[in-house]
Amino acid sequence: MAFRDDVRRIRAIVWKDLTTERRSKAGFNSVASLGVTILVLFGLALGPDGPALHDAAAGALWLAILFAGVLAFNRSYQVELDGGALEALLLYPGARWAIFAGKLIANLIFVTLMLVIVVAVGIVLFSVDVPASWPQIVLIMMLGVLGIVSLGTFYAAMSSRSRAREVLLPLLLYPMLIPVLLAAMSATKALLFGDVMNEAGAWMQMLVIFDVIFLVATFLAFEYVIEV
Amino acid sequence: MSPAATNQFGPPKPAPAWLGWLAFLFFTFAQVFSLMTSPADAMMGHLQKNMYVHVPAAWVTFGAFGVVLVASLYFLWKDDERADLLAASSAEVGSLFCGLTLVLGMLWGRPTWGVWWSWDARLTSTLVLFLIFVGYLSLRSFVEDPHRRGQWSAAVGILGAINVPIVWMSVQWWRTLHQIQSSPRGLAPEYLRGLMLNLAAFTLLTVWFIWRRYEAARYERAAEHAAQAAALGGYHG
Amino acid sequence: MASGMEGGGVGYVVASYVITWVVLGVMLVRTVGSVRRARAEYDQAAKGEFRT
Repeated sequence: MAFRDDVRRIRAIVWKDLTTERRSKAGFNSVASLGVTILVLFGLALGPDGPALHDAAAGALWLAILFAGVLAFNRSYQVELDGGALEALLLYPGARWAIFAGKLIANLIFVTLMLVIVVAVGIVLFSVDVPASWPQIVLIMMLGVLGIVSLGTFYAAMSSRSRAREVLLPLLLYPMLIPVLLAAMSATKALLFGDVMNEAGAWMQMLVIFDVIFLVATFLAFEYVIEV
Repeated sequence: MSPAATNQFGPPKPAPAWLGWLAFLFFTFAQVFSLMTSPADAMMGHLQKNMYVHVPAAWVTFGAFGVVLVASLYFLWKDDERADLLAASSAEVGSLFCGLTLVLGMLWGRPTWGVWWSWDARLTSTLVLFLIFVGYLSLRSFVEDPHRRGQWSAAVGILGAINVPIVWMSVQWWRTLHQIQSSPRGLAPEYLRGLMLNLAAFTLLTVWFIWRRYEAARYERAAEHAAQAAALGGYHG
Repeated sequence: MASGMEGGGVGYVVASYVITWVVLGVMLVRTVGSVRRARAEYDQAAKGEFRT
């Protein structure tokens, strides 16, 4: 019974976060544009053509997603903070984890949509030959995004309410995401080049393990960081 | 002394003076002893002596972070602010030793491999640990409320601790895949004694540093609390 | 591959030890100083309490 209430609460939060997002169209559009811009900057750093550009496509893609996506995380708490609604939200009886789940899902949707755009542009800018193994790449992307979003949503609960929010979120988050990024970049890169050494499978396993560990850890720890 | 205050906010038991003397004397002895008695290595020459500072520094770094982890867990469980102060003190001391470990690692790597940095699992994990320490301490500096500061730091510390072995494993795997062999470092027995001595000496020193830092933090907190109590009307019978 | 047998190797070892001892020395001074300061602060605050 209580669980059904939680599910309803989660749905409500997801809906609220996404519709507030949709109404402020600037939100998604600017973040997606930023992702593309970052790709362009990488292209400038590594190009104009040649092996460096081609080799770095996977890395550039993931970093663009990371840097742009981070903006989404602080903003996902912005709505409640501006209206002073966080206290009200916490007054409602019920598990804190439902709040986390709601924000997590909303951010997942947001970042995934952004990923689609950034990947499409990236394929063009970096002259990527889409390999036959692209479904595996899609899976890697989903696992990687899950890792990034779960930790990002968690740390943003703190950073969004502190004095130095712009620097604090990256400072806390990036070191934590090193295994995710390493695995996702390496696996993506390997698959783009035919995966001669069959490493993608191992990286994928590592991603799954990481995601499971940190999903559990962040859900358990969320109640300690969300209190007003 | 206000009886209304729980032990948490009272003054700390001071670290015994003899501990500090013992720690520094033992450290001096360990360093001098190992410098004098260890012969030049066949391959590394006198570079081998770096081991007597670099390895212990790394050892106490991870030890200090272990204290951060345990104290953070305890704080979330028992809500005892003393645990938070212990975690913070360990983080401060640990981050300094972490920086030292990195520098000493580079000073060993440069003459050995010709490069200041190599992306091996050990060095990279230590660097990531350093970044986590820095993040932890930065977070603390940005949060005013002691209780919130304790809770947030604890969460960051615990998650950070979980992450470090994962980073180590992923970098290790990354290098293995690209077939970069790490140089295996076996240890001849004549070096082992010096190493053990220095490990013990550094550990003792670190315990003393953390204890004293903790003491200072407790006094600061006790002072804040006493000032608050005085402001609220002084001695409550 | 550089070997530590050259004179340059010794320089790095010396640097390592000097840096270590300096860092520990500075840590010592600052730690002792911070405890003294904090204790003085506490004694001040506690006395203030008694004065009321």
